[in-house]
Amino acid sequence: MPTAPASFLDPALLARISDLALLARTVVDGFMHGQHRSMRKGSSTDFAQHRPYQPGDDLRRIDWRLLGRTDRFYMKEFEADTNASVIFALDSSASMDYGSRGVTKYDYGRFLIASLAWLSQAQGDRVGLATFTGDIVDVVPPSVRHLQLLLHTLGRSKATGAGSLATPVQRLAHMTSRAGITVLVTDCYESPEELGRCADALRMRGQDLIIFHVVDAAERDFPFTAAATFEDSESKTRIAVRPDDLRKRYLEQSRSHHAAVAKRLVASGADYVRVDTDQPLDRALHAYLDRRLARSRVR
Amino acid sequence: MGFLVPAFLAGLAAVVVPIVLHLRHRDKDTPHRFPSLMFVERLPIRTAQRRRITDWPLLLLRALAIVLLVLAFARPLWSRPGVTHASAGDRTVIVLLDRSMSMGHTGVWQRAVNEARNAIAGLSATDRVALVLFDEEAEIAQPLTTDRNLAIAALAKAKPGTAGTRYAAGLRAARQIATDARTGMAPVDVVLVTDMQRSGLAGLAGLDIPSTMRVRTVALSPTAPRANASVAVTEARPITSGGRERLAVTAHVTSRSTSAGRPMTAMLRLNGRPSGTRVITTNASGDTKVAFEPAALPAGLVRGEVTIDADSLAADDTARFTLTSNDEVRVLLVAPDDAERDETLYIERALAVGRAPSVRLQRVRPSAIDADELRDIALVLFWDSPLPNGSAGDALRAWTTRGGGLVQLAGRRLARRSTTAAILPASVASFADRSDDRGGSLGDVRIDHPLLQPFRETPAALVAPRFLRHARLEPANGGEIVARFDDGSAAIIERTEGTGRVIELGMPLDARAGDFPLQPAYLPFVRRLVLYATGRAATPLARATGETWLLPAAAREPVVSTPDGSIVRPARDSRATSVPLRTAGIYVLHDGETRGEPVAQLAVNTPPAESDLTAITEAELLAGVRRGDASTMTSEAPPAPADIERQQGLWRIVIGVLVALLILEMLMASRGWRAVANPITTLPSSGEGS
Repeated sequence: MPTAPASFLDPALLARISDLALLARTVVDGFMHGQHRSMRKGSSTDFAQHRPYQPGDDLRRIDWRLLGRTDRFYMKEFEADTNASVIFALDSSASMDYGSRGVTKYDYGRFLIASLAWLSQAQGDRVGLATFTGDIVDVVPPSVRHLQLLLHTLGRSKATGAGSLATPVQRLAHMTSRAGITVLVTDCYESPEELGRCADALRMRGQDLIIFHVVDAAERDFPFTAAATFEDSESKTRIAVRPDDLRKRYLEQSRSHHAAVAKRLVASGADYVRVDTDQPLDRALHAYLDRRLARSRVR
Repeated sequence: MGFLVPAFLAGLAAVVVPIVLHLRHRDKDTPHRFPSLMFVERLPIRTAQRRRITDWPLLLLRALAIVLLVLAFARPLWSRPGVTHASAGDRTVIVLLDRSMSMGHTGVWQRAVNEARNAIAGLSATDRVALVLFDEEAEIAQPLTTDRNLAIAALAKAKPGTAGTRYAAGLRAARQIATDARTGMAPVDVVLVTDMQRSGLAGLAGLDIPSTMRVRTVALSPTAPRANASVAVTEARPITSGGRERLAVTAHVTSRSTSAGRPMTAMLRLNGRPSGTRVITTNASGDTKVAFEPAALPAGLVRGEVTIDADSLAADDTARFTLTSNDEVRVLLVAPDDAERDETLYIERALAVGRAPSVRLQRVRPSAIDADELRDIALVLFWDSPLPNGSAGDALRAWTTRGGGLVQLAGRRLARRSTTAAILPASVASFADRSDDRGGSLGDVRIDHPLLQPFRETPAALVAPRFLRHARLEPANGGEIVARFDDGSAAIIERTEGTGRVIELGMPLDARAGDFPLQPAYLPFVRRLVLYATGRAATPLARATGETWLLPAAAREPVVSTPDGSIVRPARDSRATSVPLRTAGIYVLHDGETRGEPVAQLAVNTPPAESDLTAITEAELLAGVRRGDASTMTSEAPPAPADIERQQGLWRIVIGVLVALLILEMLMASRGWRAVANPITTLPSSGEGS
């Protein structure tokens, strides 16, 4: 598969673009350059608007209920057909507000969601957004017309407070009434079992689940050398540590956790994609497109 | 290596501060935010690990900075290899022995010698000792030596003198010995053996001695004041009684700290013969006047002495004086042939007044001047008449060169002439008649000139006389203007010719051309003119030791026999010859050889202040002495530690290294992993980011 120039997808470079719409279009255009456009388009029955009747219009689309109330002929117009409803769920807990190399995990997640939403819109999908910490914070229902609202909501959101996946994911599952795709962007500071239960809940609602596990380079490598007091971003717990002594065991713990999370999510039928904030966005986009394509084939 | 202020080294305890701070380092840090400590919380962390020092380089750097700061405050100094501390066996001791007149007090001198001997004998064989005898001057009786016998032998020769006390002289000599000895930082002990007389403090204030010089006084005087009586001759006046020359002598006996007045006998001797005796009762404290009956005045040079009953200090119980019975100055008044008698009346009368010396005036005509006439003449006064030419002129010039005094009074006669002799200091430019403006007066006078010395207290007396007519002088042949008239023209001009003085007067000394002879300044001016031009001075009855004797010019090859029997041949310079008066007694001046009639003689007594035996303490004596001032020490002098430290300035180097360390510490603490780990770099929150 051809890849886009890395410069279009470098997170540090994208962080200089303040407009999420522009950012998303830049990413997607750069990414889609050279991609073959083979996506199938389906039909849609989503109501769009009414318009006055014109001679020659199809009488089947006259809104008879409105005729009865107003004694006028109005035609019902519907949205173009879409293939899927995609809802992006972004973890907005304080742990996401961390970045050691120019871009925080939260920024990276926003870039990712904006780009994916733009891409989905280009594919004709309905896009929606849910940000959450311990509960749902902001919600944008999926729609083909909600891209700008999604980007606006995404732009003003902030990462703060303690986070938990169980409650928001349960509520998100109830909000999705039809089968679709749920894209969950989080740093996975939950037990693998808890994450698995969340994935099961969504899968039970017929959702295809893609989990983007965002990892900062400092979390990955634990490069600290000087003794210092570390503070948990969410719980505010402080621990004085000597990183040199802890690094090896920390990395073992970290890798073990990541492997367990991946194993549990895959077992639940979810797609687990780990993205590092110092890596370009194309890997995430590829993972998404692959999943989107697989879903199309299933249908 | 040493320290000027080692007490500051206690500040080294501050090194524990960075150690404690490093041990408690993390507790005071701004915490490092991290997304989640989920994994860290699972790991066991030992407290001991947290408390141990983790950044040794930075700790050592900070501790070293504190050490350097403390060292800088302690003022480090580095002893020079060439001036290392002497060992304990290399003590340097300088014994200063006071040999002033007051040390002759009963029993004092023997005690002084014993104390000095003990100080010398108490030294070890490797110690060095020097002996300095001092009164108003210092004499190094024995330079530094390790042979104590030499010093003791020099001590045995010492005896008290008749001069005053001057501690500064002794301490300066000791300082010079210490400087020459190059003792470096080793201390030099100065043992000052003295009767602690207060009168010896003169010149001590501000004296600089090295800080390594330790002065210890051996006080010989008792704490109670010592009684003493001294005598001084205040007047010896020749009088004529019954057609015979007699001498009236008056003396004063000064008693100090005596419990009550006591009777004593005062005896007058003239030329060694008893000439009078008075029995007096002195006051308890103060002066008692003793007036002797006039005694027959011997002819020629007279030596006299007044002696009172001897007390514990005998040296000041005799007062000597000298005078010359026929002490006169011969003056030749050269008046022109047309001069009337009353024209020179006032000058002749004025010159006749005064004694010691008296003036014997001889009036001659200008043509009478020759070498024979000038013999025994001290002053030639040309009264408005020119100097002779030819052989007479040459004789006059030669006579002046040998020390004769020449005065020319310029008047209307000289104003008509245009020639000026080469010996004269001025020429007469014109003759001013100032009758219209009520005459002129002296305007600009050099009141500090020796010729005008009598008028220093009353300069107004000189400007009071009015001169209706006077000559206007122009300086010539290097003449120096002493006074001017109020119109700016010169009034008095002088120059020297060999050892003689030549003075040109433009101011009239007669009563026709002005009123100067009628003014109070006339007599003192004329007498001073004679004394100054002849190089004579009013002869005092006696002088004190420590002064100098300016020998009269009459002796061409002066030879002086001193009271201690030695013969002094002072070198004659162009102006004058002087002899230091170190011993009380009679100094006799001869011309060429000591045999024959002496030219002059001078009585020298002990200084009156030396008779005051009031004592002081050691603290008072050394109160004004300054220690360790490098500016007063020669380059070879042993510098004080403060001076060494100031010259080396090691603290500046230490401060420089300290600054470099602090810069290095700042760089280390703010660069590299230290800067990454602490403080924490946090990114803007998500709301402020994209």
